[in-house]
Amino acid sequence: MDIRRYDMIVIGAGPAGLSAAIEAAKHGVKPIVFDENARPGGQLFKQIHKFFGSKEHKAKIRGFKIGEELLAEAEKFGVEVVLNATVVGLYPDKEVTVKIGDEIQHFKGDSILVATGASENMVNFKGWTLPGVIGAGAAQTMMNLHHILPGKKVLMLGSGNVGLVVSFQLMQAGCEVVALCDAAPRIGGYGVHAAKVARCGVPFYLSHTIIEAEGDEYVTGVTIGEVGPDWKIIPGTKKHFDVDTICLAVGLSPMSQLLDQAGCRMKDTRGGFVPECDAEGQTSVPGIYAAGDVSGIEEASSAMIEGRISGITIAEYLGFAENEEKESRINELEVQLDTLRQGMFAPANRGKKIEKTEEGIAISENLLVKGFVSDEEIGRFPGVTKQRKIHPVMECTQNIPCNPCQDACKRGCISIGSNITSLPVVDKEHECIGCGLCVASCSGQAIFLVEEDVEPGYGEVTMPYEFMPLPVVGEKGIACGRDGRAVCDCEVTKVRTSPAFDHTNLLTIKVPNDMLMKARFYRAKKEAAYD
Amino acid sequence: MIDIRQKLEEIGAFEPHADDGLLVCRCEEVTKGEIRKAVHEGIFTIEEMRRYLRNGMGLCQGQTCGRLVKSIMAAELKETPDYVEPASARAPMRPIEMEILGKDQGGAYE
Amino acid sequence: MNKTADVIIIGGGIVGCATAYYLAKSGTKQVIVLEASKSIGHGGSCRNGGGVRQSGRDVRELPYAMYGIQHLWPTLSEELGVDVEYTQKGNLRLGKTQAHLEKLQKLADNAKAVGLGVEMVDAKEVQEICPYLSKDIIGASWCPTDGHANPLTTTLGYYKRSLEMGVSYYTDAKVAMLKKVRGKVHQVILTDGTVFEGEHIVLCAGYESRAIARTVGVDLPMTKLIDEMFVTEMQPHMFDIMLGTASADFYGHQAHHGSFVFGSECGYEEVTDMEDPSKLYTNAMTLSASCRAVMDYVPCLKGAKVVRSWCGWLDNAFDGVPFIGDCKDAEGLTVACGFTGHGFGTAPAVGLMLSQIVHGEKTVVDISALAPNRFKPNK
Repeated sequence: MDIRRYDMIVIGAGPAGLSAAIEAAKHGVKPIVFDENARPGGQLFKQIHKFFGSKEHKAKIRGFKIGEELLAEAEKFGVEVVLNATVVGLYPDKEVTVKIGDEIQHFKGDSILVATGASENMVNFKGWTLPGVIGAGAAQTMMNLHHILPGKKVLMLGSGNVGLVVSFQLMQAGCEVVALCDAAPRIGGYGVHAAKVARCGVPFYLSHTIIEAEGDEYVTGVTIGEVGPDWKIIPGTKKHFDVDTICLAVGLSPMSQLLDQAGCRMKDTRGGFVPECDAEGQTSVPGIYAAGDVSGIEEASSAMIEGRISGITIAEYLGFAENEEKESRINELEVQLDTLRQGMFAPANRGKKIEKTEEGIAISENLLVKGFVSDEEIGRFPGVTKQRKIHPVMECTQNIPCNPCQDACKRGCISIGSNITSLPVVDKEHECIGCGLCVASCSGQAIFLVEEDVEPGYGEVTMPYEFMPLPVVGEKGIACGRDGRAVCDCEVTKVRTSPAFDHTNLLTIKVPNDMLMKARFYRAKKEAAYD
Repeated sequence: MIDIRQKLEEIGAFEPHADDGLLVCRCEEVTKGEIRKAVHEGIFTIEEMRRYLRNGMGLCQGQTCGRLVKSIMAAELKETPDYVEPASARAPMRPIEMEILGKDQGGAYE
Repeated sequence: MNKTADVIIIGGGIVGCATAYYLAKSGTKQVIVLEASKSIGHGGSCRNGGGVRQSGRDVRELPYAMYGIQHLWPTLSEELGVDVEYTQKGNLRLGKTQAHLEKLQKLADNAKAVGLGVEMVDAKEVQEICPYLSKDIIGASWCPTDGHANPLTTTLGYYKRSLEMGVSYYTDAKVAMLKKVRGKVHQVILTDGTVFEGEHIVLCAGYESRAIARTVGVDLPMTKLIDEMFVTEMQPHMFDIMLGTASADFYGHQAHHGSFVFGSECGYEEVTDMEDPSKLYTNAMTLSASCRAVMDYVPCLKGAKVVRSWCGWLDNAFDGVPFIGDCKDAEGLTVACGFTGHGFGTAPAVGLMLSQIVHGEKTVVDISALAPNRFKPNK
């Protein structure tokens, strides 16, 4: 039997797997990467939104672009990637059987990295097996990779980042998101993601769960209800929506089966069945490593860093790098990883109710339950200042590790400082020229430009706008508040697009001065008014 | 050591619930009620439950229902979900045709 | 927690559970079953191919194999309240060469000599019995009274029913040793130190029985080897017969569910070495080899998708047949192990006979040939 031997076999060509292969290849290791899909990049290619973090984390770059960069780097370093290659089995002696074409090929690795990612969780409710009930990730794949609309009217279950981000993307694709619902009492994802969705008019129903999905052959409607502390539905709280799609964003579970099969010691955690690993991804079987979501659900940014950490570790394990080299590289990478794991949503804070920001400002309760910061609360935050001339208004109200806005402003109007979880501060002393780069650079779409008295009694609000078709200058429409409800009529005065904005268009509307701190979204008049 | 009889006494008799008809394992069409009832018949592990009712034996090998079955069993046993160990994983990781598996350059097959 | 009983059964596999059931059924009040792992049927009981056959057996096994098929299997589902899927539609053992046919003829003759109906059939008759088989098959032995059942539900069925009838079961209860009290094997001591006491100890723990029996000076000469199986996804209903081959390439059947269950070997089984035998690793070769073996005889299944493979340890008795009976030099201890990979079909009968042995009754058929202490040096 022909068994080919490789220094390093990587299973999964997603962010973790490719990053590991690239890092190892830089030191002369010859890895081979197997992926069962027709394209590499794992979940990256369907992530059309801009990532968070700092420059080294590829902040403000769209997920699929990061995917393209990773692939280019892999090619540059001669990493062999085999697609449509399903790893069928992984054995304790580090042998791997792979289905390639219509046969099985055997490989042996001096080291193996399992980076197979995760799969979506399901919840049970009456009717959950009807066509039309799909995972949010599946909806994202359909829309963003295959350009197929999952449905027309969607209910999203789950208010974590996946639920929030996919809800927005469903609307960008042309679906109507009738409601977003979560059994938890507070939104689990970033406030800025929720705010994007809320200002489009999507109502949030926290402490609600799905009672039943209706339909004979497929979903035609859904009923939700409020849950009490005992998880029972409170009488009289049922709400019905006509939908054809129900998206479930209720968490991910690592696809760690190969590691289990290979005899790695596993642990059963709340976040799934994961291998016992050290900080470098080494499992209990010498030479078998795990990186990315398969070792614990986080996000693509951390998966890439974990991949690099495992990559240099494997290079050293195989004798392609010296220990000092490895240690210094890992220190570098761990600082990056650590930065991502800070702030309100840090793994260490999971389950805790955070009431105040690091700066001591009370977190917006409304944001956590309804998805938007209320008019009364918004003034608390250092990114929100009262100025007449054009200035950025930054509605970033939670500590998350992210700072592209700071670098975007060439005039020094925005500062975050060395602690990248700090809330952005708008410095009134510096002169804003209204270039809009900050608006476009904010991955959370939380920055607006506000200018009072552009003409007597009227000012302008410039907002990030990522919907098609783009409004035209002169168009009259409706300005909506953070809650998505109409606040006043308005006129489109500018529509700016620039390569530097990377597909985040800048839409400027003229509204009465007293609406400048309320108007945060635009609807064309011909669309049905929200209320 | 687990005293099956004692555990069964602790958890009490099986009580039908309104949602017993809910499908849990889509591949093999196993319902919540069947799983709950089986616990009261002495089936305490996923390994046993899978063999008894076939949940997790279908095409997805438990990828969809595994977590759900675990939590239903644990709830019935009045324990936290980590009381129930996940099922073991075996090759092949995806359903593969016999003729493809048979082509690996081993043996005498042409 | 009750630690004293009339009978303590070591091993929560099908033999242990069946014995517990027949004991409870015949009025034994206190029966305790100790299973080392967390699951009933964790060992060979729920890993085998489900064959319920008489043909192809050593003549020493035939009387009780036949007894089980005639008296116990047909009504077992009803009795246990679980569908054991017993299917008695016959067993074809296939041959492709003259040498195969000669071997099969010999087996058929041996069987006939002890009263078991096994005939040779030619290529045409093979196709009539089962039109899904390869046209290269030139003949087969045919035993119409053989069949198959579902080892998973049968094992758990015996467990469930005996539990209902008052038998106590302890899982995650690994036995470290046995101990004699006043000359009789009376105590069963777990690795955690817990002591169980029984008037009668039944040891049916597969290969692990050897180490346990040794603690009271009883040797059960057997080795262990690994065997693998695989299962396909559901297929349209094709046939209900059991299949095997003259050269033991593979065996298997189509289950009620529609999936096909097959077992085979690649030659590595006797040298398989696992650092931790409890991990039950399959190897990278056998699944492919098994598929080739099956497709050679049942080519129409080449497009059937395999969903899972697994393996299990065989307790391989030195002469290929089990040790069943009282231990003459360890009063109070009865053993039943060493089933050498073909214990499933006979488990109901063995369970019944063990309950009879415990009661001091004559067993339904004579099993003195299976005495535990039968080993004799060859010179």
